[in-house]
Formats: sequence, C-alpha cells, structure tokens
Amino acid sequence: MKVELYNRMRRGQMSRRGMLKGAASIGAVAAAGGLGLGLNTGPANAATDLRAALLKIPGVGTGSPSDADYQKVGEMTLGPTKAVVEEGEFEGVELTFLGLNNQNQHNFLFRGFLKPWEKYTGAKIKWIDLAQADYNARLQQSIATQTVDFDIIEMGAPFEGDVTGRGLASEMPEWVKDVIDMDDYVDYLKAPVGTWNGKTYRVSIDGDCHNFNYRTDYFENEDFAAAWAAEGHDGPWEVPATWQKVQEVTKFLTGKKDPLSGLDAHGYLDPLKGWGGFGFYFLASRATAYAKHPDDPAWLFDPEDMKPRVNNEAWVRAIQDVLDVMADQPTDQINADPGTTAFQQFLAGTGSMVSWWGDVGAGAKTSDSSVVGEVTGFSILPGSDDVWNHKEGKWETLDSGPNHAPNMAYIGWGVYVMARVDADPKRHKAAWSAAAHLGGKDLSLWASAYPSGFQPYRKSHFNVSEWTEAGYDEAFIDDYLSSEADSYNHPNAAIEPRIPGIFQYYSVAEDELAKIYAGQYASAQEGADAIAAAWEKITDQIGRESQTALYRASLNL
Amino acid sequence: MTAQVDLLHVVTTDNITPRRIALGRTLVWGSAGILFLLIAIQALFEYGYLSFGFENWRPVLYGYAFWAFCFCASQVIIRGEQGKRALFVLPAVLFVASMVIFPLLFGLSIAFSDWNLASPDGRSFNGLDNVRQMWADPYYWNALKNMVYYTMAILVEYAIAFGLALLLNSQIRAQKFFRVAFLMPLMLSPVAVSWMVGKSMLEVRFGPIARLARWIGWDSPSFFGTPEMARTMVMVMDAWTFIPFMMIMILAGLQAIPKEVQEAAKVDGASAIQAFWQVVFPLMLPISITAVLIRIIFKLKLADIIITVTSGGPGGATDSVTSFIFREYRDRSNVGYGTLLAMVYLVVIIIAITIFMKLVDRWMNPRY
Repeated sequence: MKVELYNRMRRGQMSRRGMLKGAASIGAVAAAGGLGLGLNTGPANAATDLRAALLKIPGVGTGSPSDADYQKVGEMTLGPTKAVVEEGEFEGVELTFLGLNNQNQHNFLFRGFLKPWEKYTGAKIKWIDLAQADYNARLQQSIATQTVDFDIIEMGAPFEGDVTGRGLASEMPEWVKDVIDMDDYVDYLKAPVGTWNGKTYRVSIDGDCHNFNYRTDYFENEDFAAAWAAEGHDGPWEVPATWQKVQEVTKFLTGKKDPLSGLDAHGYLDPLKGWGGFGFYFLASRATAYAKHPDDPAWLFDPEDMKPRVNNEAWVRAIQDVLDVMADQPTDQINADPGTTAFQQFLAGTGSMVSWWGDVGAGAKTSDSSVVGEVTGFSILPGSDDVWNHKEGKWETLDSGPNHAPNMAYIGWGVYVMARVDADPKRHKAAWSAAAHLGGKDLSLWASAYPSGFQPYRKSHFNVSEWTEAGYDEAFIDDYLSSEADSYNHPNAAIEPRIPGIFQYYSVAEDELAKIYAGQYASAQEGADAIAAAWEKITDQIGRESQTALYRASLNL
Repeated sequence: MTAQVDLLHVVTTDNITPRRIALGRTLVWGSAGILFLLIAIQALFEYGYLSFGFENWRPVLYGYAFWAFCFCASQVIIRGEQGKRALFVLPAVLFVASMVIFPLLFGLSIAFSDWNLASPDGRSFNGLDNVRQMWADPYYWNALKNMVYYTMAILVEYAIAFGLALLLNSQIRAQKFFRVAFLMPLMLSPVAVSWMVGKSMLEVRFGPIARLARWIGWDSPSFFGTPEMARTMVMVMDAWTFIPFMMIMILAGLQAIPKEVQEAAKVDGASAIQAFWQVVFPLMLPISITAVLIRIIFKLKLADIIITVTSGGPGGATDSVTSFIFREYRDRSNVGYGTLLAMVYLVVIIIAITIFMKLVDRWMNPRY
C-alpha cells in the first residue's frame, strides 16, 4: 500500500464508529492471547479473524504504523513459522539481510516483522540498508567482485538474470512453497517469474504494472463531445481504448481548454526525458500493444539470438506516435521525466491521460498537490487495432478485437536467499524461514493495506470486502484494485526479460530516445536502429551466448 | 663554509658497524622477498597455476605494510642519524605511493579492459578497444564540446564576480549583510540548487520565475526546451552557485591593494575607469588568475546540476563529461570504458591547465 493512499484513507475515513470497531477488535485480539485465533471458531473462521484483526493494526484512522505495530504484525503471523520451526532451532545463526531504506519503509518494516521471528527461532539478523539509487551499483559490484556479503536480499525481478542466472541464489525448498501459498499469487507473478531453468528462487512481496490513468471530466465533457462529433471523428467521445484513439484524442484536444483549470487542455502525457533507465518503461507501455503478439512470448529481443526488436515496425510506430504528438504536449515536455508527467502534470491538472505505476491512482485523491482526485479513472493500458507479428513480418488484425498487452513494468520486489547459505543446512533453513515469514500470505495483506512500499500481488488481496471491513471506501478501492488486477491477470501481459544488465539496455535507449525527440535523427527508424545497434554492443560485451540462454530461460523456452 | 659543517646539527656521530648494515639490508630484502612471494603465490593462484593460495589479496597488503615498516626501520639501522631524518618523510611517501600510485596503475589496467559488471566472464584486457570506442563515441565528444562552452562561461562569471567584489569593496550601506548574503549560494549543495531552482522555481507551469515570465509577456516560457536555452540555464544555475566563490577571492585581493597606489593614481588625475584598468586590474591579475584557475577546476567537475535537472538533455545538449561518465559507469556498469573516459579526461585537463598556466605566465612575465 502506498503511503499517500493510506494517509488519504486515514484522513478521510476516520470515524468514531470505525475507531471503536478497531479498538474493540484489538481488545478482542489481546484477550485471545495476542494471536487473535478466534478460540471458539473453526480453522476457516480463525484465518478470517486473524486477517481482520491484522488489518486493525494500528487501525485505519489511528495514525501511521510504528515499529511496535510491525512487531505485532510479525508476532501475529508467526503461525506458519511455528508449524515448521522449533523454538530456538536457529540459535547461534546470524544472517545478513540487504534491502532498501526508501521512505523509511522496506527494511524498516522487515526489521519489525522479523523481530518476533528472531526471538522465537533464536537467529539474529544483521541489516544492510541501501538507498534505491545505490542499489544497482552495490549489487553489481558485489556480484562482479565476488564479494556477496549478504544471505538474504530484497530484489526486483529484473535483476534475476544477474543473480539467479549466475547461480548465486539458493533454490526454494518445497516446504517454503507451502508456507507462502504460491498458488495465491496473481498469475503473472507465477513461473517463469521468480524461476530460472525451472527452479524457483523468489518469495514475492510486491507486484508492479503500468495502468492507464485518465481524467473523467474530459471524457464526460459535453462541449468536447459536441466538438468531437462536429469534427467528424469515428465513434463517440469516450475514454480511448486503443493507442490509435489516444493519438486522435491528443491531437483533438490541442487548442481547447481544460475543464478543470481553464488552462490549455492536453491529451496523453509522454515523458521525453530519461529517468535512470526507468523512462524506457514508458515507451514500452506505448509499444507493447503493437509489439507483443499473443502467440509470441518475446517482444524486446528475438529469443534465438538476442537480436533487438526495438527497431521493428511495432517499436518504430510507438516512437513515431510520440513524435507525432510532441507538438501537442505541454510546453517544455522535452524536459519532463516520468516523475514530472505523473506528479507535476497529471495530478496537478495538466493533461488528461498518463501511464504509470499504481502511485498515480493512489496519489490522485491523497497527494496534497493533486487537484484531480474526483475526476480520475483507471483502466488497463490501451490496446491496438492491429499487432505486429514479428515472425511473419506483418501487421495483423486479431479476430478477438484490439490487442491489449499490459506492461508489467519492473515486476515488483521479492525476497531471495543467496546460495552461500546452502552449505550449512541450519543457515539454509533459517534464511528460507525468514524469507517465508516476510512473504507470508497474511503478513502480505497487512503490507498491501498499510504504508509499506508494496502493492497488492495476491489474488486474496483483491477481496474488497476485507478492505471495506477495515474501513476503506469501497468505490475507490474497487476501482483502484480492479485496474491492477485486470493488468496482472491479462493473458497477453508483456513481462520484461529478466536478463543480466537489463537496465543497461534501458539506460542507453534513453540516451538515444533523447536524441530522437530532440530531432537529431532523420527518422524514428534511424533512431530505433541506433538503439538496436547500442543494444547489440551491450549484448556482445556481456556475452551473446549467455544472454541468449538466460533470455530463453527467463521466457521459459 | 666547509663540507664538514653539519647544517642539520647532528648531535651524535653514528658508529655503524658492517654487521648492522648487513642486518638492515637483510631486513629490507627479506621483507621484500616475503612481499614478492605473497604476490607471486596469490597471482599464480588467481590465474589457476597454483592449487593453494589465499582467499583474497589482503595478505599481500599485510606483506606490503610489513615491507614498508622494515624499509623505514632499515633506514635507521643502516644510516643512523641520517636515516632518522628520512623517517620524517618516508612514511608519508610510502602512504602516498600506496594511495595514489597503486590505484592509478590499477585504474589504468581497468581502463584498458573490457569490464561490464553484468558480464559473466568478468574483466579481460582489450588493448586499445576502449580508445577506439571513445574516438567514435559521439556522446563523449559532444560532452567535451559542451565542456568548452561551460568553461567559456567562466569569463562572464569572472566579470560579474569582479563587479560584485568592487561593489562590496566600496563604501555601501549594509556592506557586511551583503557580503554574507552574496556568499549564501556557495553554501548550498548543487543538488539543493538543482531542486530549488531548476526543478521548482523554473517549473514551467507553477514556478515563480515562469509566472513572472508570463506576466511580462512570454506566453509559454520554456527554460529547458531548446538546447541553447537548456545549456544557458545550467550555466546560470552553476554560476549562481559559484560566482560568490570568485567574488570572495577577488574581494580579498581588492582589500590587499595598498591605498597609496590608488590615491597616487587619483592625484595624478586618473579617472575612475583609468584607475581601474591601469592600476586595480593589473594589480589584481595574479589573484584573478588563481580564482579563474580554481573555478575551471570546479567547472570541469560539473555534473550534479545536470544529472538532477536535465539528465544531459535535450538530446545531450547539456551533457558534461562527468555526467556522461556517471551514466556510463553507474547506470550501465561499464567499468572499463567509463574508467578510460575518466583517464582521458584527466589527461586532457592536465594538458589544458598546463597550457593555460604557461600562457598566463608568458603574459604576466614577458621575456624580452
């Protein structure tokens, strides 16, 4: 759950009744011995009671959770650990955990969650906290200089190629799979994500994807509807469901006035400035509907030889789309990175459509600088009327209608255990037990509902009634969660390759895209060819054979 | 004065026996032998020619420290009082050698390597491939070209700094307040400047400067939209931060100029402009050169504002060499190539600064 969303709920939904309910529940939990197992109920009810009791800590409207709350959550969710680990079984074991310290979350929560686990098992955890910006460099240097000095790591799936691809991670034991209930993961987080060569390595603790955020006041505006009809556009004035329509709407809106602010109206917002590699995800969000064919798992590289597809007709069309509407974008858009498009533009009332992670939806009603809280809607990314069949080398129109391919950008955080614990069975079990505790089903519900830095990623997280019972507004949560669930569960979701150095490819592509957008190439194709050439160099430098093998493994081929 | 006179006041006459000399030499060569043995064992082990070795190179470091200690001790053992004198500088020399010379050599070996941290094959020597890549790399040359523009801007900064220093040196009201106020930008981190000025005040929709621009008739202010404008804005932000540095140096120089000289010029009937160009400016040249030189060195490291505000854009128009190396090294883990770029930049800087200083020396001390 994002901080902004939680804070908004906290501010907006607090009521005396809710608070009393929360207090009563906590009292009941305490009376039941701290675990809230529902002494007079059956096992199913006990689980439900536990989850309901968890969501009451500290309770919506009672302030941000503290370390004491994290510890309480860790204590209450120790059940699965106690089922497989004896008390004091890991006495004398010391494990090192490498994770992030973004916004005082991640490791800060893990410390609290694992404190009761340490007390029960006897193991000790040593912590390495890293800022997001230092993470990649620290990880790569540890790997390259063979100085892996941690036993457990919080890591994004895009780095799986760097770590699991080199045999640095420990394979997940079967008992962990049972403890964390992997079947409950949303489909896209299931294999091949988290696996390498058929072996499972990842305990998921987060999910990520790009949604499509739009302004409802634009698409309910009667003046726009009349002008749209008067100009002879096909179809009614509505939220565009394809990129072709997004382009048409963006051009249509130029010269009109924003219904909210009265300033210039704008359509889709493209971030034209790089963002440390992360900016490439936004071109990818435009391109997936063109480039990701339902019959082909690959969309960035050829799985046979790692030849880039970034200069095929689909990607060039996506780049050309950006170029075609550059003149319709707000002033100075060339200097707008994804942070700008989301927080300084869309949420501040500039532009009517933007692709982003869940943060925009969460911030729409919660960010202090947001003025679009009551006029924002969500959907999965737009599709395309036709899709590029890379194998056949032609555009195809699908019988099923427009091709949708939501971009599962970054795939979310997971907890991984390093192979260096494998030699010692006690350390091995201890490390996996800690990872399983952090990725537990009930603990994860709490993490998605309270500020943690993690988004919902399990099917069980999308049970709206659990959220509303905890005090959340049903309509808002339903809309927010649906847009994520529909992306996660899409059968043609575009999942990025988990190969070594993937952010090197993104970073160099950003440099070339900046030149394309600045008009330094004669055409989109020429610019895309430059990206492809740069990617070929990286592949050759890292090693084409190994990259191809790892890419195929990441696609489960 | 004779050769026998002891200028350093040696108070004892050493009686160094041949046995003592032999002991000293044994210490040096023995410890050196141990050091080389450790290096050889570890190198052979690393390259797979030996089946035994150490887990890491740390024992070699200990061997170096041991040799350094023995080397220092041997100076006293072999040379007595003279050796003690050497001890005043020898540890520092050895420390500098280990902190500068070794890393430089190590850096050079990386610069001529193909080393991408993501590569499973690790580092491999690739001769001049990185140099060739650099030669054909438009991003690097573009960044170097930008550095020329950025460095040229120092002339303008210098003129402004001189003007402000003259102002603060004259009898104005609240002189002390202005001195502190003018210095404040220098106290700010360039990253803070980037966010406060580049990302907030210059924000095109809500930023106060954009609002002001609209108010005075610029309908769609864009501060980073075109290459020229973006480059200029980076120069302005950097100048705003560092002009106070030049100003304070020049101000110190101005206050050191003897009043008599200026008064003499006045008595001779020189106008204010003549007094400045004929008296003040020439007297200020040495301090000006120093200020400009230090400013050039600061400028050549320019990166934080660019990384934070423009990421080198639009289309590389604001990229500096350091910001480009940062992307190459950090975002792309391309350690070998990134190191070579930094080494070449270092050489370019040394050559350019040397030429600059020679020219200045010629100009200030003409040899007729």
